[in-house]
Amino acid sequence: MPVVGIPIHRLNDLLGRPVPADELVRALQRMGSDIEGFGTVRRFKCSRCGFVLERTATEADPGYCEDCQNDFSSPGSVLPLPPVEVVRLDLLAVRPDMFDVGGLARALRAYLDISPGLAAYDLASPCVRVDVHPGLDGPGCFRPAIGCAVVRDVQLDDDLLKELMRLQENLHWALGRDRRRASVGVYDLATVTPPITYRTVDPDGPPFRALGWPNELTPRQILQEHPKGRAFGHALADFQRYPLLIDACGQVLSMPPIINSEESKVTAASRDLFIDVTGPRVEAVSRCLNVMVTSILEFSPGSRGEHVEIIGPDGKRCLTPDLTPQEMILDMAATRRVLGINLSDDDAPGLLARMGHQTEWAGPSSLRVLIPSYRPDFLHQRDLMEEVAIAFGYDKITPALVPTMTVGQPHPDEERAAAYRRALAGLGHVEVMTLLLGSPETHYGPFGLPVPEECMLIANPISTEQTLGRTWILPGLIDTVARNTSREMPHRLFEVGTVLRVDPEAETGVAQHTRAGVVLAGPGIGFADIRSVMDALIRETGQQLMVRPLSKPYFIQGRAAEILDQNGTVMGEMGEIHPSVLEHFKVIQPVAAAEIAVR
Amino acid sequence: MSELATFTALEAKIVRLLCTQPHDVEIDEVASLLGESHPQIAGTLRALSQRGFAGIREENVIEYVLGPKGKTLPGGKLPERAVMEALAAHGRIPLRDLERVTGLPQKEAGRALKPLENWGLAAREGGELVPRGTLCEGHVPPDGAHERLVAHLASGGSGALSAIAAAGIDLAQALAGLENRGGVVATKERRRWWVSLTDRGKALRDEDLVVRETVTALDTALLTDGSWRGVDFRPYDVSLSSRRLYPGKEHPLRRVLDDARRVFLELGFTEVASPLVESAFWDFDALFQPQDHPAREMQDTFYVRRPEGARLPAEDLVRRVQRTHEDGGETGSAGWDYRWDETTARRVVLRTHTTAGTVRALARDPRPPRKVFLVGTVFRREAVDYKHLPLFYQVDGIIIDEHASFASLLGTLEAFYRKMGFERFEFRPGFFPYTEPSVEVFVWHEEKKDWVEMGGAGIFREEVTVPLGCTVPVLAWGLGLERLAMFRYGLDSIRDLYLSDLAWLREVPLCR
Repeated sequence: MPVVGIPIHRLNDLLGRPVPADELVRALQRMGSDIEGFGTVRRFKCSRCGFVLERTATEADPGYCEDCQNDFSSPGSVLPLPPVEVVRLDLLAVRPDMFDVGGLARALRAYLDISPGLAAYDLASPCVRVDVHPGLDGPGCFRPAIGCAVVRDVQLDDDLLKELMRLQENLHWALGRDRRRASVGVYDLATVTPPITYRTVDPDGPPFRALGWPNELTPRQILQEHPKGRAFGHALADFQRYPLLIDACGQVLSMPPIINSEESKVTAASRDLFIDVTGPRVEAVSRCLNVMVTSILEFSPGSRGEHVEIIGPDGKRCLTPDLTPQEMILDMAATRRVLGINLSDDDAPGLLARMGHQTEWAGPSSLRVLIPSYRPDFLHQRDLMEEVAIAFGYDKITPALVPTMTVGQPHPDEERAAAYRRALAGLGHVEVMTLLLGSPETHYGPFGLPVPEECMLIANPISTEQTLGRTWILPGLIDTVARNTSREMPHRLFEVGTVLRVDPEAETGVAQHTRAGVVLAGPGIGFADIRSVMDALIRETGQQLMVRPLSKPYFIQGRAAEILDQNGTVMGEMGEIHPSVLEHFKVIQPVAAAEIAVR
Repeated sequence: MSELATFTALEAKIVRLLCTQPHDVEIDEVASLLGESHPQIAGTLRALSQRGFAGIREENVIEYVLGPKGKTLPGGKLPERAVMEALAAHGRIPLRDLERVTGLPQKEAGRALKPLENWGLAAREGGELVPRGTLCEGHVPPDGAHERLVAHLASGGSGALSAIAAAGIDLAQALAGLENRGGVVATKERRRWWVSLTDRGKALRDEDLVVRETVTALDTALLTDGSWRGVDFRPYDVSLSSRRLYPGKEHPLRRVLDDARRVFLELGFTEVASPLVESAFWDFDALFQPQDHPAREMQDTFYVRRPEGARLPAEDLVRRVQRTHEDGGETGSAGWDYRWDETTARRVVLRTHTTAGTVRALARDPRPPRKVFLVGTVFRREAVDYKHLPLFYQVDGIIIDEHASFASLLGTLEAFYRKMGFERFEFRPGFFPYTEPSVEVFVWHEEKKDWVEMGGAGIFREEVTVPLGCTVPVLAWGLGLERLAMFRYGLDSIRDLYLSDLAWLREVPLCR
């Protein structure tokens, strides 16, 4: 999850009263924020594109601009900015309204009772129109939903410009699902001539200068050559035509969801902003727009929001953003039952106001809750119950146990495995726990075996050491012996654990079996030793040891046996490990080993 | 006084001997007078001392011994004396023969020349050493105190201060003469034990010393004929160390897993088993995790290449889950507003949480009241470092109960962590796609002086429970167990748990 540093001085300015750092931390933790800590961040501004990079005290200076790829090794290419004190937050995807200093201040002002209740935003009548052309709802191009807004008189500086870009990126992460569901564009309105057109173009259509790029590229070239095109081109993978925002003079604003044009770029000097959000579905687009717009209005005091008129391909007119609160009914009796707290009806409105909601009584013990339009996380009245619980304070809830009596019951497989462990420990063996995942090089090759057909394979392993599920236990035990050759011998080790085997009969295609492995290593260890152990273990399971000679590449020929159950079915094997295996593992003492099914 | 006590033969002998000694006697001397070994006498005397009949006085004494260089001197002679004697006897000696004539190592012989020249007793002339001064007449100067000390020690004389004085050697003078000759004579600290009878021991009369036979090993013969009644057993020095044994035992992490199991069994939970290799349906979809949720991406979750495609449960259940995702279905929820895809749900994953197991249990039987738990391995696609492994253990549980509430969830979590040995914990809001309200549990780490997150919990959303046919609240939690183990055993790295260093496994105590 992304971590952001929120500048403390700016947060305090927006709160309207200074809040001591520890009170801030406690309040954020009680609201559910994940606080990484406090710290100073050093900031570097790219002299080419104005992008601000942040580095913590322990991180190295940036070598290039993460936005325009400008190389910082040449003198003057990067300007250091004064460091700032920040509180570092691990962002919660469900609370995009708390991603930036403005939204965070809004939430804290309500929670700390500085200004509880619904935050109101007055939007002016539209001056800008966006015409949506046909063709955006497929086939060949599917990104029909668009919402826009204008924010005037913003006061930007390097910090707020950074805040703006970071908010945009984090909304792409949390609400946009990597720009597939929604993508945000912000432009300097002064560079744009309305009305604006949202339309589709041919991949080889109008070339334009993409952000941070020296010359004009066609949409197709952007996807092939521009770093953002390469990174997010997958969102347009099946498209025959690409979406484009273009103004009345034919100036391209952006190619959603990939990149804006250089000409419409926002700088610290920009006063009026035009914002667009596009995506396949209107709900995600409007949630994203509402967060973006209200957060800008919050972190740039004095700025004014303005509707944008959108004319659909069918001529239908609508105004965006739509900041109408969501309405939901909260049943207080159900709330008390689910939370298990003693809460009077009269307490609830105050608690919900501290979470930024407005309430009115809809009936006896039934509240109509107005949820701010920038909170996308309300699907069910249970979500409101959580808001009540958070405002009430988890620490004020008296923990209890359910009053219903039930009888505990262990699982028979676990009990059986525990009995095997008890027997093997009683016989003087030390339990080891090795990883369930392995590779051809750890579990098969050294034993002269191919990877068996019944071996489960991982599609996306993270290392070459864990690419498959083990089908047997012994390799991990032998590896443990190899890691401990410097420890006092003899070694008497065991593991009772799970193996995985592809099995078409199993619901998920893989059956899991519990198996017990034993390994003995040290001077003079041989077949007789491992046979005694297995004889004892099998007697403890109420059976008799029955064997049949076995030939395997990893056992010494003539010193290995299959272990059979009463019906003559093979349930395991034992033997002296072949010197070729020991040589591979650099073990210089004899080793005898056994493995059987636990059942 | 008369002492009603029995004595071993050796004890009686020692008491009788000590009665005749006017002063304290050294243990060595008692041993040599009685012709017994030192350890045996020492052990017996310790027993007498414990019974109050004898006293042992311990003394640390300095002794002089030959140093490493002194031990190599032939006949205990310093090199210059050996050279002087050779010159007096032979007259001129070719330098190359010096080693052979004196029996000294070449280096030692060579070093002796300089002082002899300084004293005017020898000189080098054309490859020969020639006597000068009194040596020309065959008169060797008398030896000094230091030489006599060396000779005394070399001949086996005692290095104790008293013995040196008795041999007529002026120790101060001797040490001064050896001042610049490191390694010839060294000091050694020696512990000596002096014994004497206490007043109680002195009061023993001959008839008090009832002697019984002493045996070392109890054997069948002694036991069968009852003769053990007439013997004493030789006392052992119980303070001596014994052979180091290591018991067979279960892995430290296993003990934590077993403790977690026991806690939930004690709380009346039923244990279930569940597949490690799971369908995306049970790992994500049944838990109302939308199909484009970041946690489902290849970056965070292990997907399986062989086998491909899991079977889904009964058709109507799958449809209910599908509708809940798309528009909320019967659950009163708005749903996630997208098109749910069955192929995505069939994908095979390594389960990312044991909640896949509890939600299966809920689907199998949603009727309250039930309490269910499982302890098991889960997988996350994380690179290995000191905090992360691609797999770890969790304990997951659910309570299906019409009286269940968020307060009883907190109470159950509190009971678990108290039983696992934690005193201080804190509940903070958490956010999970399948629970609401949700909570994260933090416990206090005394050494780090900080709260450490241990796991998440909540009440299953109705979008999870209603499609499975459950209409009462379901409390659910998934708690990591490796961190508990790392706390308990003071480990800094999660890898230490799995590396199986046998030294650690053998030494780490079962009890804490």
